[in-house]
Amino acid sequence: MATDSLSVANQRVVDTLAARLRRRQVVGSRETALETVLVLRQVISKARFSNIDQLVEIIRSVGRKLVEAQPKEHTVGNTVRKVLHHIREEYHTASKGTAVVSTSKDTLSIAKFVLQGQPRKQNVPQKTTLNESHDMLKENDADDPDAFARTLKPVLMEAIQDVLDELETVHDNISKNAKDHIHSDEIILTIGKSSTVEAFLKAAAPYRKYTVIVADTAPSYGGHDMAQSLSSAGISTVLVPDSSIYALMSRINKVMIGAHAILANGGMFAITGSLLVATAARAHSTPVVVCAGQFKLTPQWNLYHEYGALDFADPSSVLGFEEGNLVDKVDVVNPFYDYVRPELIDAFITNDGDHPPSSVYRLIKEAYDDEDYEL
Amino acid sequence: MSPNTTSSTGKDKLIADEEKVLQAVILADSFNKRFKPLTTHKPRCLLPICNAPLLDWTFESLALAGVQEIFVICRSHAELVKTAIKNSKWSKPGAGLKIVPIVTAKETFTPGDAMRDIYTHGIITSDFVLVTGDLVSNIHIGDVVREHKERRKTDKDAIMTMVVKQSGVNHRTRSKGDSAVFVIDPETSKCLHYEAVTGYPPKKYASIPREILNEHPEVEIRNDLIDCSIDICSVEVPSLFQDNFDYGDVRRDFVHGVLTSDLLMKSIYCYIAKEGYAARVRDTRSYDSISKDILARWTFPLVPDDNHPGGHSYEHLRGNKYIAKDNSVILSRTCKIGNNTLIGSKSQIADNAQVTASVLGQRCIVGAGSIVRNSYLFDGAVIGPNCVVEHSIIGSGVHIKERTHVERGCLIADGVVVGPQAKLAPFSRLSKRRQDSDEEDDEFEDAEEQFEEEEDGDDESEDGDDEDEVDSELEDVEANQDPEALAKLGSDTNAIIWPLPVVDEDEAIDDLEHPDNQRLMRIGDNASDLVLSDPGSVTSSESESESDDDDDDEHFYDSNPASSTTSLPLSTPSNLVAQADSAVISEFQQEVKQSLDRAFAEGHSVDNAAVELKTLRMASNVSLRLVREAVIAAMVSRIKIIAGGGIPQRQEIASMIARWGGLIDKIGGVDPVETVEILQEYSASSDRLPLFGQILAALYQDDIVDEDDIRAWHGKSKSQGQGVKPASLQDCYNKCWVTGAHMIKQFDEQDSDEESEEDSDEGSETSEPAVKIPVTKELPSAGENSSEEGSCEESSDEEDEGDTDEDDSE
Repeated sequence: MATDSLSVANQRVVDTLAARLRRRQVVGSRETALETVLVLRQVISKARFSNIDQLVEIIRSVGRKLVEAQPKEHTVGNTVRKVLHHIREEYHTASKGTAVVSTSKDTLSIAKFVLQGQPRKQNVPQKTTLNESHDMLKENDADDPDAFARTLKPVLMEAIQDVLDELETVHDNISKNAKDHIHSDEIILTIGKSSTVEAFLKAAAPYRKYTVIVADTAPSYGGHDMAQSLSSAGISTVLVPDSSIYALMSRINKVMIGAHAILANGGMFAITGSLLVATAARAHSTPVVVCAGQFKLTPQWNLYHEYGALDFADPSSVLGFEEGNLVDKVDVVNPFYDYVRPELIDAFITNDGDHPPSSVYRLIKEAYDDEDYEL
Repeated sequence: MSPNTTSSTGKDKLIADEEKVLQAVILADSFNKRFKPLTTHKPRCLLPICNAPLLDWTFESLALAGVQEIFVICRSHAELVKTAIKNSKWSKPGAGLKIVPIVTAKETFTPGDAMRDIYTHGIITSDFVLVTGDLVSNIHIGDVVREHKERRKTDKDAIMTMVVKQSGVNHRTRSKGDSAVFVIDPETSKCLHYEAVTGYPPKKYASIPREILNEHPEVEIRNDLIDCSIDICSVEVPSLFQDNFDYGDVRRDFVHGVLTSDLLMKSIYCYIAKEGYAARVRDTRSYDSISKDILARWTFPLVPDDNHPGGHSYEHLRGNKYIAKDNSVILSRTCKIGNNTLIGSKSQIADNAQVTASVLGQRCIVGAGSIVRNSYLFDGAVIGPNCVVEHSIIGSGVHIKERTHVERGCLIADGVVVGPQAKLAPFSRLSKRRQDSDEEDDEFEDAEEQFEEEEDGDDESEDGDDEDEVDSELEDVEANQDPEALAKLGSDTNAIIWPLPVVDEDEAIDDLEHPDNQRLMRIGDNASDLVLSDPGSVTSSESESESDDDDDDEHFYDSNPASSTTSLPLSTPSNLVAQADSAVISEFQQEVKQSLDRAFAEGHSVDNAAVELKTLRMASNVSLRLVREAVIAAMVSRIKIIAGGGIPQRQEIASMIARWGGLIDKIGGVDPVETVEILQEYSASSDRLPLFGQILAALYQDDIVDEDDIRAWHGKSKSQGQGVKPASLQDCYNKCWVTGAHMIKQFDEQDSDEESEEDSDEGSETSEPAVKIPVTKELPSAGENSSEEGSCEESSDEEDEGDTDEDDSE
């Protein structure tokens, strides 16, 4: 049913993105998330549906396709889940008036969690209740099958625009409180080139005078770009090789790193070298702070790779292809992401407040509907 | 074609910035038989590598590069290729690719023929990407195309950009048997010279034309490049193939031909890929190494767990193990899966079995206690219990029964049953008997004869693909089975053994396809094997790596393009002289004589006669000098000797030269010094010796030779008759020389006395500088290379010249 309801044009849009994801022509958690929202918006605007289940099924099938194309970009699935969540919310508001109070827009904190207790009840709509609420929305109208879509679409577009806005403003929102986290004369260590961390550090620069030590992050050497960008923003920056991370750790006040995906147990996937940094920080009891947008929250666990990586890139950045004699004799492994356990992380700074790893599951419950964990 | 429709169907954001549709041509036929017998019922491009057909990898590589329109040139098993394309994901509307299969005639034997076919189809509208149907690549071809187009804006003659990848000399993916030396200008990355290298017999020298070193202060001579067989070609490339009907291989003929021709004035550039991976499955050995490269993720993101072209999904585990993701693989608790292994869905591996560095297709079964190492099992292969399979390729549906030992290098075609308890010799090639007869091995051959008739019918209907050549080949193989060897294949076998390739002395065989060279391209074969089998040779992996600086003269191969394009065994320059006496040349002389007789008798125009001569020369591939000799001889012998001499004689000569003299310069090259030499040589040995001076004067009058040429000829020691054997002849030579000397004296006098006449001379000289410039160019090369090599190079140059001349006239 799902694939039938997708029009040819939608099919092509989805296929194109799937192919680009597969070919890694779109990489990076934020870029993939943005592309996904844009595709979903297009799909919904052109889709034909006469009740909410059809709509959900359409979006899910698109999501499944995209996730299958690139299971390693978790934000694709997250964005689809988020959109589904918003759609359900809008649907409920439309059908029941103000039945559900949306809490997700408020800034959450641990204190609020405790006060509020159960934040809100699950939006698992029962069939029976659905059919009763026909006063505003005409579902399954035999005379006019598009009536439902017509009424709902404007609200849906708005909901998707919300998701899009959130993605577009994520850096600003995260770095809003940067000066409260960074103090003067601090020495901060970071690794890799995370645009979130970059924005965060730059946001604090006008208010505080501090030093950033950037590990060069072999073999991708994203640290080089990071160091350049930070120093051009007037931050005193030191670039060091990865090998000296442990030795320097005793002088460092805080470790700030980015994430590729935050998992439900509070652990995360991050650029390779992050595990090294986090472990060294633990040995020196240095706080590890992760800057990441909420769209990186992933309702999944790392089942298979206890310490190992999620993704292995091509070995040429480790061993040149021209080393013909060696290529045949050695197996080269170039892990791209590390899995960092929740015990090694002290706090997540998100666009939705600051949270310890132990409350990530809560945030995930907030952000997505349970039934969408498996797309 | 219809570029409009494609641009509308493939309207993506991806390619929105490209103003024109990027076209690609895939040569889906391999034009060789290195994968036999696996390819008897399936074209090579549909063989799976890492469980996806090679063609799909090629499509993916091109899609990655942003190609939108692909023409697939298929020859053998064309129907299969067409159906495969139709059923693949690429034909779906969302794929953004337009794939057009083009079936060429069975007579297409080389890539060159295919290119000519492309030309006649007229499908190419702009610069296009030319690849083979067995390419695995993640290079951003789009960048190369952009660079190529950029270059075309400034240099219209840049017709082609070859993509090469740097690797070590001993890189596993670099074919030892079929590589090349590239001479590149590092600044412009222009390819200056290309020389193909075969692994056996080992090539010791690469000859680089002197001019290259003169013209370029800095050159790189590279023997460490993998030729990816990705070419960005301009529109005129197919037409160049069309013009030069003898171009077969794209590299060894076309690239070499274009670079060595001084008349085409086209240039070819190299793109040395710094990033990315590209290689071509040329042979079973590179099949092995490319499979390993894919499993070791060099082709990232084109890896099984990420962007598998076949659309399968695999779980990537530590140690580069890939297991199908759909939970259908059954691995026994006690089985061992080694590194670099790919296991397709629904496969089963039984207790205590070991699978290392291998690729298993879908629905493969490895029996208990079996060992599979460095091998490639296609879909549905079954390995019985306690077998050993090493370094082999096992076709789909093959059943290897218990306790069978498959040694390295075996190729087992689809559907073969082997065993039980068989022992396959290394490098055996097995295929299925065309009909499973119930007769047992002893009467096998007799039975075969009887079944011949019905089988043919059966096969035809089965395939729907009339592979007559395959059938006849199979018949051949079937007819020559050794019952003893067959008996070793076990009692349940249905296999026939393909014979090892043998050298056929009578047949002129290409170095590249020489069985010994082919060994370097076989899976599981190492060079030491070659040394064992052929103690006289020096081929080993070590000596090969040094083949360029070794001093052995034995295997010198000249750079004459003619030698590689024709079937004539004109491979060494020392042979060339011997060849000169051969029947070919006498036959040629005979024919030229007849042709000229006709021309004189029927009064052809000079141009027509020239075309005829050129065709003759190309057909028999002889040096230009021979043609010149024939022409001069024919002319001089037709000059009537008039008893009184004097003015009537002079008029006679003048009219002859005026009518036919032009022919001397139209036969494909201009070399007046040689003309004078030949004239001297001919006159000296004929009764027209007294006429020498007058003829020379007439040639001078008609501007066929000029003063400098006569001086140059005069300066040569040979002109005085030195080294000419019969003393009488030497006298005659000397007489001619003296005549020449008189003439030069006259010139000198003219120079000093009559300045007014010189002015008029100068006037005539300036009227034809176009003729003279090549003359002065050619002179030094002819002078420097007095050896046979010189003359042979010269002839090759001039052959190209001849080609183009002729084409122009057409």
